[in-house]
Amino acid sequence: MQHDPFKNGSDTFVHANWQDNDHLITVLASNAREQATAIAMRERDQGIWQEYNWAQYLEHVVGFAAGLDEHGVKPGDIVLILGDNRPNLYFSMLGTICLRAIPSPAYPDTPPQELFDQLRRERVRVAIVEDQEQVDKLLGLRETYPGLELIIYDDPRGLDGTAIPGTVSFSAVLARGREKLKAEPDLHKALISRPNVHDVAILLHSSGTTGTPKGIPLKHGHVLSGVRNAAAAGYFHKGEIHMAYLPIAWVGDFTFSIAAALELSFTINIPEAQETALHDLREIAPTLYFSSPRAWSGMLTRIQVGIAESTPFKRWLYERCIDFAVKVERGRLKGKKPSLYQRFILKCGEFLIYGPVKDQLGLSRVERAYTAGEAIGEDVFLFFRALGLNLRQFYGQTENCALAIAQSSEDVSLTGVGRPFPGVEVKLSDNGEIVLRGDNIFDGYYNDVEATEKTLKDGWLHTGDAGQIEKDGQIVVLGRVSEIVHTAANVRYIPTYIENRLKFSRFIKDVCVIGADKEYLSAILCIDIDAVGQWAQENGTSYTSYAELSQSPAVYDLTHSLITDLNTILPAGQAIERFVNLHKQFDPDDGEMTRTRKLRRDVIDQRYAAIIDAIYAGKGNINFEAPITYETGQTGVIARALTIRSLVKRSD
Amino acid sequence: MFYRIAGVYHTRYDKARALWPVPADRWQITVVVIFALAAPFLLSDLYLGSYALPWLIWSAATLSLTLLMGLAGQLHFGFAAVMAIGAYTSIHLARFGVPFEFALLGAGIASAAIGALFGAAALRVKGLYLVMATLAMQYLVDWVINNVPAISGGAQATLRTPPSSFLLISLESLEVRYYLALAWAVLLAIFFMNVKRTSFGRALVAIRDKDFAAAVIGIDPFRYKLLAFFTSSFVGGVTGALLAFCYYRAVTPEQFGFNVSIQLVAMVLVGGLGSIIGGFLGAGFVLLIPIILTNLVSGLAASGFLTVSSNLLAHLPLMIYGALIIGFLVFEPLGLAKIYDNIRKYFLVWPFRHSRS
Repeated sequence: MQHDPFKNGSDTFVHANWQDNDHLITVLASNAREQATAIAMRERDQGIWQEYNWAQYLEHVVGFAAGLDEHGVKPGDIVLILGDNRPNLYFSMLGTICLRAIPSPAYPDTPPQELFDQLRRERVRVAIVEDQEQVDKLLGLRETYPGLELIIYDDPRGLDGTAIPGTVSFSAVLARGREKLKAEPDLHKALISRPNVHDVAILLHSSGTTGTPKGIPLKHGHVLSGVRNAAAAGYFHKGEIHMAYLPIAWVGDFTFSIAAALELSFTINIPEAQETALHDLREIAPTLYFSSPRAWSGMLTRIQVGIAESTPFKRWLYERCIDFAVKVERGRLKGKKPSLYQRFILKCGEFLIYGPVKDQLGLSRVERAYTAGEAIGEDVFLFFRALGLNLRQFYGQTENCALAIAQSSEDVSLTGVGRPFPGVEVKLSDNGEIVLRGDNIFDGYYNDVEATEKTLKDGWLHTGDAGQIEKDGQIVVLGRVSEIVHTAANVRYIPTYIENRLKFSRFIKDVCVIGADKEYLSAILCIDIDAVGQWAQENGTSYTSYAELSQSPAVYDLTHSLITDLNTILPAGQAIERFVNLHKQFDPDDGEMTRTRKLRRDVIDQRYAAIIDAIYAGKGNINFEAPITYETGQTGVIARALTIRSLVKRSD
Repeated sequence: MFYRIAGVYHTRYDKARALWPVPADRWQITVVVIFALAAPFLLSDLYLGSYALPWLIWSAATLSLTLLMGLAGQLHFGFAAVMAIGAYTSIHLARFGVPFEFALLGAGIASAAIGALFGAAALRVKGLYLVMATLAMQYLVDWVINNVPAISGGAQATLRTPPSSFLLISLESLEVRYYLALAWAVLLAIFFMNVKRTSFGRALVAIRDKDFAAAVIGIDPFRYKLLAFFTSSFVGGVTGALLAFCYYRAVTPEQFGFNVSIQLVAMVLVGGLGSIIGGFLGAGFVLLIPIILTNLVSGLAASGFLTVSSNLLAHLPLMIYGALIIGFLVFEPLGLAKIYDNIRKYFLVWPFRHSRS
């Protein structure tokens, strides 16, 4: 499927403006030539940062590509990449790209079954993985999928000295490649010029909220034009310091940590482990920071818990400063310029509170802070903007390299997501759906003509999001077109819209609103153990576990009041009338959410059918038998008594 | 507030082990060092000669003693005697015509030799018994100095230091003597900071915590205790010589009496055992607070805010001083260094109570 400038066998030549040799590897090679000693990548290893400059970066990529070539990887092959962010995995991806093969990353915590489907669907022969854990997972799968010929692993710990056939270490491949490069001096140049801008650079996957994930191939030209559009509009600058901590299987990591990093010569910083990411973030203090609304909100919760535990004087000062800044920021979003006096107080606050808080989080040097993926809570958004971070919203999907629409510094707002990037066209289809066109929009799903035809019509990408365009050109995203749901009383509502409003409270981690074809709306809540636990401590509510805390009457009163507040701003008929605090959090491992933490409603409906029935039967509590799966694979049942609360007394 | 540590990262372990990885600590130290260097231009001769100079020398003495007491955990109640040996050795060498630099070295060696000798005797005993043994050293040395005219120059005699120079610079002027004392105090502080990070320093700490356990992990307690006595006595001897040449400019036996030993122990304890900043703070507290209190009380009395009998007036500063020491030790038994550390940490995690990362 490589180098096919003609779409779907037809003779329309797409992307006529793309230059053949304008691809990621030439960009990398020119970086290695022009700024050979500048730091391209840092990885924290055993407490200190190991650095790679651009020359070393290219040397690793080409060396690995030559080694991979020796192992028989052909153009068009799909190579599975599995693991956390590691320099060697980034080198592998680019090495694969160098050979015109296609890297296909997967989330490191993907369960074996999903991985098996991906391997078979994409006929993967070679997998490049992080460590022994992933090797073991693949070795298990190889028994039922013998097509997997070679597993290359980065971290040899636990694998050294074991000679498992069909596995080889990254360093061995690299060493072999280097030898070959030494023997054939022309090979280096040949490898660098081998790819083509029309080649698929990466095969990403849709999150699979509904059905199996779809493969989304992005070509060199797509990601490069996406990045260039963003840079032209000033959303990225040259030489940013960036933290590569988001999963490599997510589109954002490819565009930020590889495409933008190469094109704009970023310095990429890779944390030692997921668990140390926050600590390592503080050590690096990046200039560009991207995080999901959930992570921003988690950060806010962490600060609030920390302040609640702090000494009275610090807490008093913090509250005064933050309240003031939030007030000023609220005015600023309405277009009011802060007065001289307010600016003076903000300067003092910057020294006293805002600066130290940003320093504690490692965000003190961030000049461009972004969030995308879902709606961000007003509290969270205002808080970080009040701290002095220019937090802005982004809008995009994997299909458009996640770079489509963003807020500029001037049109920051809570409701809208901003304006399209230069080079991206936006309009609304007849049914109010946002559709996009531009060079960064992909050319169709992997081996799925039907889905492609549904999504790409005349070059316009149908996002599936309902939206509207304001008078000033700002685009507002309302929710998924497919998610508009009707109750039995024929009230139209978008569950995610209501859920997001509830999740803006730090006490609520997840929520699922139910109401399709029901008389009224109800909700299943998952409390946030950190925030509620801390609240419980302060209010003298004792608890031993998540389950017990969630069922405590005091916590019910707390969630009750949150929903009461929400109901006052919801339109008539959309009020949540009954709710239950779930004894556990929704978990991707149980299939209740996707890896990107979006709810899988069908799974929830089915798994918690008994609870939902009890809610609509008007019961006050339920003895729920929860099926659980142990780590050993055994299944069992745990009985939980759950309380169901009503907010509204119904007359019947 | 002042401590900003985002963006401090290390690419090599030796950088990660730097003495002050936090920028705010570095500028604080820079300010202190600049002030110390500029002191002769900022302070009058009175303040420089009778406050700053003795403070530096007593800080050096406290650091010498805290190496033994704080790091190696060996109590020493006769440290004034160690300094006396240094002072007398240097003065006799200088009068004999030995250059001052070598006289200082000789002072260190003589103190180290005698100090280690008593140390060796004390190796078999611990705790209170070691206190008794070192007290014995104090009285023995006192007795020898007093009763050997060759050393003391006769009973009740005062030996004046001969005019001398350090590295060709005459020690006549107060500024030169101040800078010499400063250089020695800084040198000792740097030495102490680094000793804590060497295998020697770690061995001493292991012995302090439990000498049996240290022996089990392969540290020879005998050797290291002896080395601790030797090192501490060496720097103590040099400090004693500097005290004689830079501050008193003469020696009499009373300058190194038992009460001085006790005062040194007080400096170490009030400052904080085994701490460098505690050495400076402890010496400053014990040395300067009585003076400040006396001035304060007499100032208050003179201006009429305080109407007490002149008898009480003389004792009031001492009473407050005693109360302060008790107060500090009750409030923070780990000394002034710990108070400084608490303040630093208060700002380090600002605006939180604990570290967030």
